[in-house]
Amino acid sequence: MKAQQILRDYLTSKWYFYLTAILFIVAANIINSFFPRLLGRFTDQLDQGQMTQPVIVEYSLLLLAVGVSFAVLGGIGQYIVVRLGRLFEFVTRRKLFGHFTTLSEQFYSKNGVGKLLSYVMNDVTAVRESIAMGVNQTTNATITILSAMTMMLLSSIPLYLIGACVLPLAAIPWIVTGIGPVVRKRSLTVQDSLGKMTEAAEEQFGGIRVTKKFAVEPIMMRRFGAAVDQIRDNQLHLVRVSSLFQASIPFLGALSLVVTVAFGGYLTIHDRITLGNFVALTLYVRMMVNPLQQIGNVINTMQRSRASLERINELLAVKPDIQEVESSGSIDLRHAAIHIRNLSFSYPDSDRYALHNINLKIEPGKTVGIAGKTGSGKTTLMKLLLRVYDAPRGTIRFGEVDIRDLSLESLRSQISYVPQDGFLFSTTIRDNIAFYHRDTAFDRVEDAARKAQIYSNITEFPEQFETKLGERGITLSGGQRQRTSLARGIIKDSPIMILDDSVSAVDSITEKKIINMIRSERRNRTTLIIAHRVSALKHADEIVVLDEGRIVERGTHHELLAHQGIYATLHAIQEEGNSDAAL
Amino acid sequence: MQPSKSTFGFLFSYMRPYRVTFLLFICCTLLAIAADLLQPYLVKIAIDNNLLIGTNDYRQLLIICSIYFGLSISSFLFTYLQNNLLQKAGQSIVARIRKDLFEHITKLSMSFFDRMPSGSLITHVSSDTETLNQFFTQVLLSVVRDGMTLIFIIVMMFQLDVTLALYCLILLPVIALIAIAFRTYMRKTYQASRTAYSRLIAFVAENLAGMNLIQAFHQEKEQQNQFTDRNQTYFRANLQEIRTNVVFNRTFDMLGSLSVAFVVWLGGEAVFHQSIEFGVLYAFITYIRQFFQPISTITQQWNTLQSTSVSVSRIWNIFSVPPEVKDAAVVRDLDLKQVKGRIDFDHIRFGYREGSPVIHDLDLHIRPGEMIGIVGTTGAGKSSLISLLCRFYDVNEGSITIDGVDIREIPQRQLHRIVGLVQQEPFLYSGSIVDNIRMFDESISREEVIRASRLVGADEIVRRMKHGYDTLLSERGSGLSAGERQLISFARIIVFQPKVLILDEATANLDSYTEQLIQKALNVVSEQRTTLVIAHRLSTILEADRIIVMRGGRIVEEGSHRQLLELHGYYEQFYLHSLGKMEAGAG
Repeated sequence: MKAQQILRDYLTSKWYFYLTAILFIVAANIINSFFPRLLGRFTDQLDQGQMTQPVIVEYSLLLLAVGVSFAVLGGIGQYIVVRLGRLFEFVTRRKLFGHFTTLSEQFYSKNGVGKLLSYVMNDVTAVRESIAMGVNQTTNATITILSAMTMMLLSSIPLYLIGACVLPLAAIPWIVTGIGPVVRKRSLTVQDSLGKMTEAAEEQFGGIRVTKKFAVEPIMMRRFGAAVDQIRDNQLHLVRVSSLFQASIPFLGALSLVVTVAFGGYLTIHDRITLGNFVALTLYVRMMVNPLQQIGNVINTMQRSRASLERINELLAVKPDIQEVESSGSIDLRHAAIHIRNLSFSYPDSDRYALHNINLKIEPGKTVGIAGKTGSGKTTLMKLLLRVYDAPRGTIRFGEVDIRDLSLESLRSQISYVPQDGFLFSTTIRDNIAFYHRDTAFDRVEDAARKAQIYSNITEFPEQFETKLGERGITLSGGQRQRTSLARGIIKDSPIMILDDSVSAVDSITEKKIINMIRSERRNRTTLIIAHRVSALKHADEIVVLDEGRIVERGTHHELLAHQGIYATLHAIQEEGNSDAAL
Repeated sequence: MQPSKSTFGFLFSYMRPYRVTFLLFICCTLLAIAADLLQPYLVKIAIDNNLLIGTNDYRQLLIICSIYFGLSISSFLFTYLQNNLLQKAGQSIVARIRKDLFEHITKLSMSFFDRMPSGSLITHVSSDTETLNQFFTQVLLSVVRDGMTLIFIIVMMFQLDVTLALYCLILLPVIALIAIAFRTYMRKTYQASRTAYSRLIAFVAENLAGMNLIQAFHQEKEQQNQFTDRNQTYFRANLQEIRTNVVFNRTFDMLGSLSVAFVVWLGGEAVFHQSIEFGVLYAFITYIRQFFQPISTITQQWNTLQSTSVSVSRIWNIFSVPPEVKDAAVVRDLDLKQVKGRIDFDHIRFGYREGSPVIHDLDLHIRPGEMIGIVGTTGAGKSSLISLLCRFYDVNEGSITIDGVDIREIPQRQLHRIVGLVQQEPFLYSGSIVDNIRMFDESISREEVIRASRLVGADEIVRRMKHGYDTLLSERGSGLSAGERQLISFARIIVFQPKVLILDEATANLDSYTEQLIQKALNVVSEQRTTLVIAHRLSTILEADRIIVMRGGRIVEEGSHRQLLELHGYYEQFYLHSLGKMEAGAG
């Protein structure tokens, strides 16, 4: 698959940009390596007394030219590379998000938001850093070292002297790749403990009422204190290696210089090399410390990011569980009955049947209520109807068409679904209600809000329908969220509506109003209502009671009451004292 | 924002205990930078005294090398020491601030938590204090190390040649100007790109969480477009930031080259006229090249310094919030075991804000051991009444007494042990089940915990779990059902034995079966306790000794279920609604 090679694809499609950038960087570094040589020649001429004033000016101008060209050429090269890296980030994130929208609930139930976010944040960043840094620093370092070496050789400095001076520096990449991963591991531990403390704070402030009510503040403080101390200990543990790392590289640089001065000085004294060469040599040695460190860094980053790249490629290769067949078509669900025949279903990774041999026919325009306790399979049935999971072929049909032969667009745009949790997005209330068509006319939004009994709450906010929800806005209560979510379902005005325990957090008076509204609104249109409360179900044309994945009772409210089964018990529990209130 | 004196004064008060460590740190820094800075000078001596003159005194050259070698080793050691000392002091200070801040926040009143979203509190405790950490490890380190390096270089330059040094100093104001101008702009671009990034990530996080909804409403394309907008904004903001950075760094580089050229020219002339020796020029060139690094590093700290000052003042703001509900100067200790549980609300008035009262002249007297049901719509004042009894807030007028003692005279910690509260959303901590039941109080034995769980019927459920009572709850009990969580919170109540128990819609959000289980537990829990139950499902409170009906912050009806129905008033209406009989009556 193409996704397997996201990085290779990117690099091949941009190779000419990279080539340009590399050429710029190479040119810059070659020019820069003339700097010590120029100073060396300058020294020799001074030493030999061949210096004249114009020559001095010429040298200083030459040095300036070297510096400026290095800065400009190197800067352009660097910018091109970094920009390409960021573009990679942009493209990859877009790909990832697009991919996320195709993956189904089965995938999300196994992969938490935190884990998926880390793909978008950490993995993409790691790969981007490694390509930007890799190209920039590898080019920089290789060219600097190569040209420094060439320059030294050209300037008739003996090979053995160069070798001796550079020898201590050779340990730099070795130290970087040796200590680098240890530093990284320890700094991850620090990050980890920071995360733990944040979690602890989150927990404590979330549960502050409970903590206060049980008057256990000192205990909680101790718990939090332990998390804080852990950070400090981990930090100090980290700094022990990281400062060793920081100190040892300049130390090796200094060691090289000691050799240079001692050995080079000896040779200068004995006139085997000129003073100019001696000066140039000290400068070249200094020049090589950084590139060697960079090479070590690049190796480390590459190693880290290889894992990230693999993770991204693996993620992009995940095939969506729900896929449209090639010949998928669309039908009008207004006149299509829903046929459920011999439907048995178990969740992937589970050996237990969530639904057992369900047979149900819902005529167009009818209202069906579904009751049953938590885990009885009500929501599973709804998810199959929405094709969140795939039911076995032939078990669910709309009219004459199997659900799997319908395009997802045709299916989902004709069903309005109101989930229990009332999930809302951090945009305006208006955008949340008009989620299906963001440019719905405002009066229709208002109308939906009125129907869902949320209008008066919304108009109490200073910015009314333009009020922002979420972290940077206001927080709605559970009941308000459910009603807003209901308005979002109502406005869609679809042939089929599914209410999945959508009014559980609403008080009984409001619930009553909502049920009445749904009855008039959904007259002669197919509606499925899942509810715990009998009051929400009793008006349905048919009520189905599920237990452990099977239909155990079905009929109208009155038929089921007469039957004296689960439904009747439910009714009795909820409406206890009914006889007392007999009017 | 300018860092104000008082906020940084608070930071310095935390630093004071570590002043010796800081002093040592400064000494170590001085020794650490010495080798790097003396190197050009030593080479200069080598050149001028040995090589150039051609005295062929190799011994002296070796001495210079040995000195340099010794300096390098000491630099190695002291760099190591310097980092460790600074971290030790910095980390200890940050840990102290974190603990103090946490302690202070826990002491604050509920009104504070109602005003302040917990998200921003978490930011204060974790991110703002982490910024302080950066202040110590980056800003302080850089100011001391780079500041001293700079001074050192300048001193060395003057030592070498005053005229040349003076010429070089002309550069300083130019560098400073460029640095300041750039940094202000860079800060802006940096912030713009950070904001764009966090918006982007927040958007992805939310969309991942709501993906089922996006798919159910077939909004994949629309959301993808919105994502691309944010992605693009971030990309652009980011490039802007990078461009500024590259231009700044390269300008600095060029400035460096310019000054080297300048020194070569002036110095070359001087050597030419033999007013200085060549070694001096060599050292000068090396120093001027070292000159730019520390300046660049120090100016980089400006950003961190800015965010530190913001963080410090935010932390200080939290520290300066006093708890609104305080223990009285003279408190009356109650013997927990002797508390009977009589509660009197005497003509209380209360509002969260001035001018908008939520409870008007409410008078309610509850006998020890009585079970009271409280009914009313949202906003009727039920929860406010409960908050007042828990003393999350203080009444504006009137008084609340327990066994005749005003709750404002009881130490808060005691009051909280006397009055227990079970909420709609039971809160579980990450940790084992046994610790959750005893609230991590190790003085409560495991046996007590098990006994309590058995009483409320949680024992059976807990035993079915893989590790029984030692099962670790992840993410606040997300693996448990709402009913199971509620049972655990009931067991807590049994363990802590409050004399007064409040159940705030504790059975909402449960299906009828679980509700029955809870109802049984409730009967156990409310035994021998004064119990107040708030419920919008009336089935929970039908058996209460007395039902209080609240409306608009007043008690409008009270009596037993039967008495209230006979009144044919607001309660009856309420009851009929909940039965779904309204329509039968109207139609």
